[in-house]
Amino acid sequence: MSYFFQIVVSGVVVGSIYALAALGLVLVYKSSRVANFAHGQIIAAGAFITYFLTVTVGIPIFFSFLASMVITFFLAMSVERIFLRRLIGEPIISVIMVTIGLGSIIDGLIYLTPFGTENYSFPQFLPQAPLTLGGVSISWTQLSGVIITFLLIGGFSWFFKKSTVGISMRAVSDDQFGAMSVGISVPRVFGLAWATAGLSAAAAGCIIGNITGLNFDTLHSFGIIVFPVVILGGLDSILGAVVAGIIMGLIQQFASGYLDGNWGLNGTGDVMPYIILLIILLFKPHGLFGVHEIERV
Amino acid sequence: MSANKWLATGNFFTTYKQEQRTFLTNLDQSFFTLFLVLLFGWPLLFELSNKSMLVIDNILIAIVAVMGLNLVTGFAGLISIGHAAFVGIGAYTVASFCRTIGDSHIIITHFWPLLIIFSGFMGAIFGAIVGLPALRLKHLYLAIATLSFQMIFQWVINFMSFFNQGQTIFVGRVFWFTGKVGRKDHYVFWYFVILTVVVILGFGIRNLLKTRYGRSLIAVRDNDRAADAMGMNPGLTKVYAFALSGFFAGVAGALHAYLYRGVGFESFTLHESIGYLAMAIVGGLGTLNGCFWGPVAIKFLDLQVESLAELAGQYLPSSMNLATALKPFTFGLVIVLFLMFEPRGIANWWRIAKSYTKKWPFRY
Repeated sequence: MSYFFQIVVSGVVVGSIYALAALGLVLVYKSSRVANFAHGQIIAAGAFITYFLTVTVGIPIFFSFLASMVITFFLAMSVERIFLRRLIGEPIISVIMVTIGLGSIIDGLIYLTPFGTENYSFPQFLPQAPLTLGGVSISWTQLSGVIITFLLIGGFSWFFKKSTVGISMRAVSDDQFGAMSVGISVPRVFGLAWATAGLSAAAAGCIIGNITGLNFDTLHSFGIIVFPVVILGGLDSILGAVVAGIIMGLIQQFASGYLDGNWGLNGTGDVMPYIILLIILLFKPHGLFGVHEIERV
Repeated sequence: MSANKWLATGNFFTTYKQEQRTFLTNLDQSFFTLFLVLLFGWPLLFELSNKSMLVIDNILIAIVAVMGLNLVTGFAGLISIGHAAFVGIGAYTVASFCRTIGDSHIIITHFWPLLIIFSGFMGAIFGAIVGLPALRLKHLYLAIATLSFQMIFQWVINFMSFFNQGQTIFVGRVFWFTGKVGRKDHYVFWYFVILTVVVILGFGIRNLLKTRYGRSLIAVRDNDRAADAMGMNPGLTKVYAFALSGFFAGVAGALHAYLYRGVGFESFTLHESIGYLAMAIVGGLGTLNGCFWGPVAIKFLDLQVESLAELAGQYLPSSMNLATALKPFTFGLVIVLFLMFEPRGIANWWRIAKSYTKKWPFRY
C-alpha cells in the first residue's frame, strides 16, 4: 500500500510541475490564440539564467530566482514584440512554425554556452534527508517545489481575478473588439501575456532544475509534454491546466509504476500522455474546462 | 487555341481538354525534356564522390517526402507535425520484412520496386488512420493530434524488440538486370531510381491537381463549408489527403531504407518532422515547385553551416562545438525570416523571375 501512496506523492509532485509549465502555455493561448512551441526553450533559459546568476555570479539563490523571472519576463515580451506581433492575423501554420523556429534559435543560443551539452545541479540549500511519513517519503526539494508551485498558481489566479491588468487580459481573451472599444490596448495585452508566460516558465525551470538537475534535453522536453496537459485541461483554462497537470502526473507515474516491467512493456510513462491526448482529442477535444469552440466538418 | 504551338501569346482554350494539357506550349515541353535528359545524363559524364552523391540522393528523398507533406499541409491545409513518422512507417515496413525473412531474401533484393510501392500503401493506411481525427478536429488541435502520433511512433520503435529497439536494422544489397548493385555503383544507381520516382510522383501531383480530386483538396482548404455546399465531402477529402501524403512518405521511407542499407530510429524523430515542415514552408506551401526548392535550400544551408562551423572551429577552443549550436540557430532563423518576409516561399521568387523573363525586355 505504501508503494501506491509513494506513486501518488510523486505523481502530485510531477503533476504540479506540469501545471506550472502548462500555465505559461495557457496564458499565451488564452489571450492571443498562439500555441507556443518554444515554451520548453524558455523554461530551459530561465533555469540556466538562475544557475548562472547563482553559481557564476554568486547571488543568493532566492534573489537569482527572482532576477531570472524578471529577465525571462522581458525576454518573452520582446519575442512577442519583435516576431509575433507581425504575424497577427496570419494563418495558424505560420504562427506555429514561427514559434518552432524561435525555439530552434534559442536552442542554438543555448548550445553556444556550455549549458547545452553538460549536466549541472543547483547548490543544495535544503536538508538532504527526505521527509518520511508512514512509509511514504518526499524530499525537501520536491516538497518546496510543490509549495512554490501552488503559491505561484494562487498568485496568478489572484492576478487574473482582481488586478486591473489581469481583468483586461481576460477581457481580451473574451472578446477582442469589445475590449478594444472600452480602451484596452490589445497588442499590449498580448505582450503582457507573453511576459507573464515567460515569468512562469522561469519559475517552472528553476523548480524542475532543483528536482531533476539541469539538463537541456530534459528541460526543453517539457515544452512538448505540456501539450497533452493543456489539451486535457482545455486550452484556455488556468484551472484546467492545474487539474490536468496533476491528473497527467498521476497517470504518468501510475503507468511507469504498474505497467513497466509487466507484459514486456517499458517506458510507458513517456507515451501514456500522448495516448490519453489522442483519446481526449477524439471524444472531448475542448478538454475538461475549455470553451467549446471546436468546429466540425 | 492559337495556331502557334510553340509560343503562347495568351489563353485561347476552348475545351477543358486543352486546359488540362501538362505543357502550355511545345517550347515548354522541349525545355523540360532537355532538363530531364540533363538530370539523367550528367552522372554518366561526371563522376562524383560517394559522399556528394549521397547528399544529392538525400535531397531527392526529401523532395518525395515534402511532396507528400505539401499535399496535406499546403494543398489541403491540414497541419501535420508527424510527417517523419509516416516516412518511418515506410522505412520500417522494409525493415520488418528484413527482420522476418532475412535481409537478403529474394523479395528484398529482387522485388524491391514492389516492396517500395507496398511501403507506400502501408504509409497510406497509417495516414488514413491518423487522418481520422481530422473528421472532428481543425487547425491546432489536428496539429497536436499528429504530434501525438509522432511521439507514439517513436515510443513503439524504441521499445519493441522486433524493431531492434531503434538500433539499425540492415537491408541487403539489391539486384538489377546487370547483377548485384555493388558498393561503387550504389549511390549512382539509387540516384537514378529516386529521380525516376520523383519525376513520376511530380507528374502525378501535377495531374492530380487538374482533376476533381486535387481541386477538392484546395476547395476544402479554402473553405470547407463552401466545399460541402458544392457537393464535396470535406471529411472524406481530409482523410484522403492524409492517406495520399502517407503514400508519398511511405515511398520516401522505403527509398531511405534502401539508400542507407539500414533503418535506424534517429532518422524519424520529431526534429525531422519539423525539418520537413520547414522545407515545405521555405519552398512555398501549396505550390508544386516549392517541393523542389525547399529541400534543396534547407539541405544546402545545412551543409554550408557545417563547413563554416568547421572552418571557424579551427580558431576556437575545441570545447566549443560550433556545429551543434549553429545548425539549429540558422535553421530557426531561416524559418522565422521566411515566414516574416516571404511567407510564399522560394516558389514566389521563381514565379517573379519567370514572369520577368517572359516579358523581357518589355516590362509593361
